[in-house]
Amino acid sequence: MVLMGTLGSILATVAFAAALAAAFLYYHTFLTPAERMLAAARICYQVATGSLVAVAAIFLYLILTHQFQYTYVWQYSSTDLSLPLLVSTFYAGQEGSFMLWALYTSFIGIFLMVYTSRRDYENATMSVYSLILSFLLLMLVVKNPFTMIWDSFPAELVKSGPIPPGFDNIVILDAARSIWAQFPTEGSGLNPLLQNYWMVIHPQILFSGFSAMAVPYTLAVAALMKRDYDSWIRIATPWAVFGSMVLGTGIIMGGYWAYETLGWGGFWGWDPVENSSLIPWLLCVASIHSALNQRKTGGFVRTNIVFSLLTFVTVLYSTFLTRSGILGDTSVHSFVDPGMWVYWLLLGCLGLFTLLGFGLLVFRLPEMPTAPAKHSYFSREFALFLGAFALSFVALFVMIGTSSPIITTILNGKASAVEISYYVRTNLPLGIIICLLSGIGQLLWWRRSQAETFVRSLTLPITLSLLTTAVVYGVLGSSEVLILLFTFCAAFSLVVNAKIGSEVFKGNPKFVGGSLAHVGIAVMCLGFVTSSRYDSTATLALERGTPVESMGYQLTYLGYEELDSERYAFNVQVRHGGVSKTVAPVMRFSKKDNSTMRHPDIINFLSRDFYVAPVSVESDADQPVSHTLNRGKSEQIGGVTVTFRDFEFPESERASMSEGKPFFIDADVRVQEAGRSDQLKLRMKNGPQGAEFLPATYTSKSGEQYVFVMTQMMPAQTDPSASAIAIDVVLPHDHSAHKKDDTLIIEASIKPMINLVWAGTVTLIVGFLLTIIRRIGEASRDGARLESGD
Amino acid sequence: MKAKIVVGAVVVVVGVLLAAMNFMESNVEYADFAAAEQSHKKVQVKGEWVKEEPTQFDVQRVKFTFFMKDESNRVVKVVLDGAKPNNFEIATSVVAKGKFVGGEFHASEVLTKCPSKYEGSPETVKKTL
Repeated sequence: MVLMGTLGSILATVAFAAALAAAFLYYHTFLTPAERMLAAARICYQVATGSLVAVAAIFLYLILTHQFQYTYVWQYSSTDLSLPLLVSTFYAGQEGSFMLWALYTSFIGIFLMVYTSRRDYENATMSVYSLILSFLLLMLVVKNPFTMIWDSFPAELVKSGPIPPGFDNIVILDAARSIWAQFPTEGSGLNPLLQNYWMVIHPQILFSGFSAMAVPYTLAVAALMKRDYDSWIRIATPWAVFGSMVLGTGIIMGGYWAYETLGWGGFWGWDPVENSSLIPWLLCVASIHSALNQRKTGGFVRTNIVFSLLTFVTVLYSTFLTRSGILGDTSVHSFVDPGMWVYWLLLGCLGLFTLLGFGLLVFRLPEMPTAPAKHSYFSREFALFLGAFALSFVALFVMIGTSSPIITTILNGKASAVEISYYVRTNLPLGIIICLLSGIGQLLWWRRSQAETFVRSLTLPITLSLLTTAVVYGVLGSSEVLILLFTFCAAFSLVVNAKIGSEVFKGNPKFVGGSLAHVGIAVMCLGFVTSSRYDSTATLALERGTPVESMGYQLTYLGYEELDSERYAFNVQVRHGGVSKTVAPVMRFSKKDNSTMRHPDIINFLSRDFYVAPVSVESDADQPVSHTLNRGKSEQIGGVTVTFRDFEFPESERASMSEGKPFFIDADVRVQEAGRSDQLKLRMKNGPQGAEFLPATYTSKSGEQYVFVMTQMMPAQTDPSASAIAIDVVLPHDHSAHKKDDTLIIEASIKPMINLVWAGTVTLIVGFLLTIIRRIGEASRDGARLESGD
Repeated sequence: MKAKIVVGAVVVVVGVLLAAMNFMESNVEYADFAAAEQSHKKVQVKGEWVKEEPTQFDVQRVKFTFFMKDESNRVVKVVLDGAKPNNFEIATSVVAKGKFVGGEFHASEVLTKCPSKYEGSPETVKKTL
C-alpha cells in the first residue's frame, strides 16, 4: 500500500512536468509553427491529463479501501461513511480539493484543445492553459496528498525495538535498525456538518465552475499574443457563459445548502468562502455583457480583455484569501494554516498570472485599436456599458469587504472583518441600477432606440412595477425607500424582459436566452427582498406540551425522538390557519468532543417558508428543584426516592447552642434507588455569620450525581412526627436524558416568497443554457468560415 | 470624450468614497473591556469564558449571561441578546460584539472559536490506533 502512494506521488510529478512541457512546446509552436512540435505538445498535454486521472484513481482507491496509513484518508474519512460520502471525502481537505480542481481543469482543457484547434487558436491558448494546469499540479507536488501517517505523526507512531506480536496494523520502516510504525485502524471521520448529500454534488459543480473561469483568461491572453483583438471575443463568449452558468449554479447550491442544512438562517451570509466565488462570477457576467458591445460596435476592446483577465485573476485571489490562512480568526469558517509553502505558491501563482495577463496588455496597448466612441447615451450599448461597470463595482465592493481583515491589518495593525451591513449598504444602490439597466437596455434593443416608441413601451412595465411595489409595501409593509426602489426596479426588469422574451420567442426561440436569464435574475432579486428584508424572526422557549403563539403561528413542542446515539429530532407542531404540520429540527450532541450540531427544518408553503432552527434544549437539570419533605414520607426526585427520617441534634451541639457557640443540626435523609440506599446528613451550621446550609452529594449506581441542600427546617414541637424540611435538589446533568419538563429553545422565522429565489435560479440557468447553445452555433459558423478561408 | 471621462471619474470617486465610508462604519474594531468602557461605540472584545462563574439563561427574555475575561485579564459580565452560542462549552476563545452599558457588556453577537476538531491532532491519532 505504501507503493501505491509512492506511485501516486511520482505520477503527480509526471503530470506536472508534462503540463509544463506542454506549455513550453505549445509556446514554441506558437512562435515557429511546426507540425511535429504541435503533435508533441498535444501528447504532453494528454500525458498530463492521463497521469492526473491515474493519480486521482489511486487516491480514490486508497479512500475506498480505507487505507488509514495515509494521513489524508485517516484525517477525512472513516469506515462508517456511506459510499457517496466516502467518495466525497476525496475533496474534503485542501490537497484533495486542489486535485479535483486540477482534474476538472485538465478535462476542460481537452475540450478547449479541440475547440481552439478548429479556430486557429490552439497554440497560444493551450500554452497559457497548460501553464495554469501545471501550477495547479505543482500544488499537488508541494502538498503531497499521499503523505504517510507516520511521517505526519512520527512522535506518536514511530517506534523502535522488537515488534509486539498480534498486530496487523504495523509496518516495518527499517528492518536493520528494527524501526517500525503503528497506523490507525479507523479514520478520524468526516466533519458532521459536511455529511450531507450536498457534499456529494456541490463542490464538484463549484470546482467545475472555477476551472471554467480559466478559459476566458486564457483566450484573452492568447488574443494579446496573437494580436487579434476582434475574433477572440466570439470564441470566448460561449466559454464565459458556460463558466457563469456552472459557477452560478454552484454558488446558489451552496446557498441552498447553508439555508437548508447548516442552519445559517439564510441562503447568503457574505462569508469569505461564499464571496470568493461570487467575485469571479460577477466579473464573468460583466464580461459577457461588455462582449456584446464589442460585437456590435467594435469598441470596448481593452475593457473586454481586462474583464476576461480579471475573471481568473480574482479566482486566484479568492483562492489565496480562503486557502492561505490569511483570514485567520475573522470568519465562522476556520481557515487552516496550510504552511509557508502553499502560502507562497498561491501568492506566486496570483502574482505570475496577474503579471502575465496585464503585463502583456500594457505591452500591447499602443498598437490596440481604439474604438470610435460615437454611440449615444440613449442606446442599448451605453446601457450595457453601464451595466457591466455596475457589476464590476459590486465585485470590487465585495472584494474590499472580503479583504477587510488584510486592509485593517495594514491600517490598524489588527485584523477585523466588516459587518454584513457593509455589503448590503454598498450593493443595494448598485442592485437598483443593475435591475433598471437590465430592463432599459433590453427595451432599447427591442425598440431600436427610438425615443418615441421607447417612451410608449415604458407605460406597461412601469404600471405593473408600481403595482408590484405597492403590493410589497402594502402586504409586507416597509418604509425603506431604497428597498422599495429596488423592488420597483426588479419588477420593472421582470416585466420588460418577460414581455420582450415572449415576443422574441415567437420570432426565434433560440434567441430567448438573454431575456430569460434577466427574468431569472429579476425574480431572484424580488425573492431576496421579500425573504430577507421582510422576514420575521423570533427566539422562542417552548415548554413541552404548552402551545406558544408567535407571528401568527401556534407552536407546540411535542417531544424528542432519538435518531441514533448522538442525534435527536425535536418534534414541534406548527399550526397556522387551520393547517397543522410538524417540523423536526435535529441536534447532534457529539460524544467525542461535547460539541452541538444544529440542523433546521423547514415547512415550505407556496408563499413562504416557516423555518425552525433549534438553539438548545434546557432541561431543568441545572436548576435546583425545590421539594418539601414531610417526616417519614417518601418522595420521588429524579431517579431516586428520598425520605426525611428525623433531625439529629446531638447533646454536645445543644450545649454549644446554649453557650452561644457555633453548632449544627443535621437532617437525616435516606436516598434509595433499585437495590441501593444511602444515608445523607443535610447539615445546618450556625456560626457567627448566621445559619449556613451545607450541600451533600449522592452518587447513583450509574455514576450520576444528585446534590441535596436543606433550605429550611420546620420542626414541629408538639408532634415531632409532623416535622418537615425544605430542600433543593440539583439533578444530574445529562445531555441526552432530557427530562419531561424540558424546554426547547428555537429560532423561528418566516421567509416570505423565498420560492422566488429558487424559481429565479432555475430560470437563470435555463437562460444561460439557451445562450450557450446559441453562441456555440455562432462560434461554429465563424470557425467554419475560417476553415473554408472565408 | 473629455466630458465622459470627467463624469466617469466623478462616478468612480463617489462610488469609492461611499464604499470607504461604509467600510469604516461597519468595521467593528477590536478592544479590551477598558477601551470598550471608554468608547460608546460597538466594539468586539476577545477573551475567554470564566467557567467558575455562573451562567444564566433567561428563557423569557432570551438573554444569555456569562462572565468573560478579556486579554487584559479583566472579568466582566456579558449579557448576550440570544441563546447560548454554538459550541460555547468547547470554545478555546470567544469574541463578543457589542457595547458597554452600566458595568455590563451587552453583546449582540458572540462568536466562538473552536479547536479545529477535524484537523488531525496527535491526540486523535492515538485514539484511532
